[in-house]
Amino acid sequence: MWNLLKDFWLLFGRLFPFPTKPGLRPVGNPGRSSPVLVTCNFELTVRKVVQTLTRDGIDAWLLVAPTKGINVWCAAGGGHFTTDTVVSALKTSGVENRVDHRELILPQLSATGVNVWALKKRTGWEPRFGPVDIKHLAAYLGGGESSVARAYRHVRFELPDRIVMGTNLGFSSLLFLALPLLVVSIWVRGLFWISVPLVFSLAMLNSVLVFWLPGKPGVQKGFSLGLMVSAAFVVVSQAIWGLGGWQTVGWTGWIVLVATYLGYDMPGWSPLWRADVKELALGVKRTRIAIVPQRCVGCGLCRIVCPANVFARDAETEKATVVNHDACQACGACLENCPAEAIETNFRSGHCSCPACAAIHAARSFGQPADGQKEPGTETATSSHCCDSKTCAAPDAATSTVKP
Amino acid sequence: MSTLVYMKMLERTPEKYDRGMRLLTLGRIDRIKREIASTWVGPGQDVLEIGCGTGTLAALMTARGARVVGIDISEAMLAIAGRNAPEAELIRMTASEIDALGEDRFDRIVATLSLGELSEDELDFVLRASSVLLKAGGKLVVADEAPAPTWGKRLFARLVRWPAAALTFVLTRNTTHALKRFEERLGRAGFRVVCRRDYLFGTLALFVMEKV
Repeated sequence: MWNLLKDFWLLFGRLFPFPTKPGLRPVGNPGRSSPVLVTCNFELTVRKVVQTLTRDGIDAWLLVAPTKGINVWCAAGGGHFTTDTVVSALKTSGVENRVDHRELILPQLSATGVNVWALKKRTGWEPRFGPVDIKHLAAYLGGGESSVARAYRHVRFELPDRIVMGTNLGFSSLLFLALPLLVVSIWVRGLFWISVPLVFSLAMLNSVLVFWLPGKPGVQKGFSLGLMVSAAFVVVSQAIWGLGGWQTVGWTGWIVLVATYLGYDMPGWSPLWRADVKELALGVKRTRIAIVPQRCVGCGLCRIVCPANVFARDAETEKATVVNHDACQACGACLENCPAEAIETNFRSGHCSCPACAAIHAARSFGQPADGQKEPGTETATSSHCCDSKTCAAPDAATSTVKP
Repeated sequence: MSTLVYMKMLERTPEKYDRGMRLLTLGRIDRIKREIASTWVGPGQDVLEIGCGTGTLAALMTARGARVVGIDISEAMLAIAGRNAPEAELIRMTASEIDALGEDRFDRIVATLSLGELSEDELDFVLRASSVLLKAGGKLVVADEAPAPTWGKRLFARLVRWPAAALTFVLTRNTTHALKRFEERLGRAGFRVVCRRDYLFGTLALFVMEKV
């Protein structure tokens, strides 16, 4: 019964943290040479990871880090899945007594909060970033970085994800809309009971059809959807119910309004686009990202951590170059992990800017103005968690941990 | 709207921390800190504060003449602590790194509303490490949220706590978590409770412990 309730809640209420017990868990029948994997302590993630590992027959030690019950990406962006979190989990879980090696596989999306150079220096473990999705772990373990196709390092928004996120967009929007709707229902009879399925279905359509709706992600796509659905509504309502003119106008307007509102929220629920509110928080409409070739040490880590394939390797110089500028989500993973401060952006670095969440604390960064002491418009990778970049940039360190 | 709310939920607000804790404990936390500084900490003592936050307790203890080392994971908190308690030595580290601070070094180790934030593994580690860090006869002083001792008190306490916790979270995005099976863990780490004082129907408690 409890499990059923839990599943029901997790189906709709993914917006809210749902913690499971942190600590070391054996999956399958792990031995002293089995891989050590790190994940968050969001109940659903841990369950999915265990299920996938079991299905693929991978025996592993799963280190569930205390991330306040928040999923990997959001926890990393919100400062709850950081280098400190992993240091603490490694040290207190007793994992070093269970295995003979010191190799650690982190989820790729934790790169927004975890600096592998600092982690290595503080713990002696050899951390590297695994794939975005646990389902590609088997291939990753098979051949390391070379076996991981570029696509595996790219976040996707496939149909099952879009259905799930549509459900959650609908549910969370209803949480905010329920009370105002009930109040307005006093005057407009039936508004509440019609709006509940309306919000749900428009949220679902916004999410499922997002790639095909005309316009830019956000209000434009939502507005297009609203126009299409209300056109269908006009045809059907005239044919079946024979609604009066004013009633048709009223409901049509309501459909467009709700669809546009949901469209505004949609990017924040996707892994591909920045939430509109995040752009406000970042303070820039167009993010700018560039490599300083003189500083780049060619370690390749920015390509590994980037979930949007923004970087490529210059065949001649072997240094990183920006090839997919507009795909940048300002997640900050490259800034957090660049050992040489070679990435310049016009948004702030740090843990505080995952695509769907906590950019606002970057803007307020600890009571200082967003542009801090630096020249506005240009911010280099300077994370307080980053270790001494000169030591980190040593070529042997780069080869042993992350060089593809 | 939902993404904005989500952003707000994840946002940590060091500058609002003290106000949040005051609200959540209905003002008791200030009283407890004053009691710790005046009753359990003396002049000339070496004190380690785990999770010193904004340094309000560190300031009270340095004013009593104690030599205070405060650690906290948050640089933002430490920046505020540096202003509130300029005489304390402040170090940015996680609680699971306190073993690096040495052995037999402190007369007192204090922690207010910080151990509850730790996972069970981390809590066990910190208690074991504290036992190593304390000098003979040293004391561990902990004030934190604790499960109320009886069923009736628990129910009543929840009725009081839930609205306070919800309001605190909405206003300041800060909250506390209860210590998990604390007295059992203390026993395992080699401590015994010499004094326990309950506040707010036993949901907030001050523990003073010494090594067995």
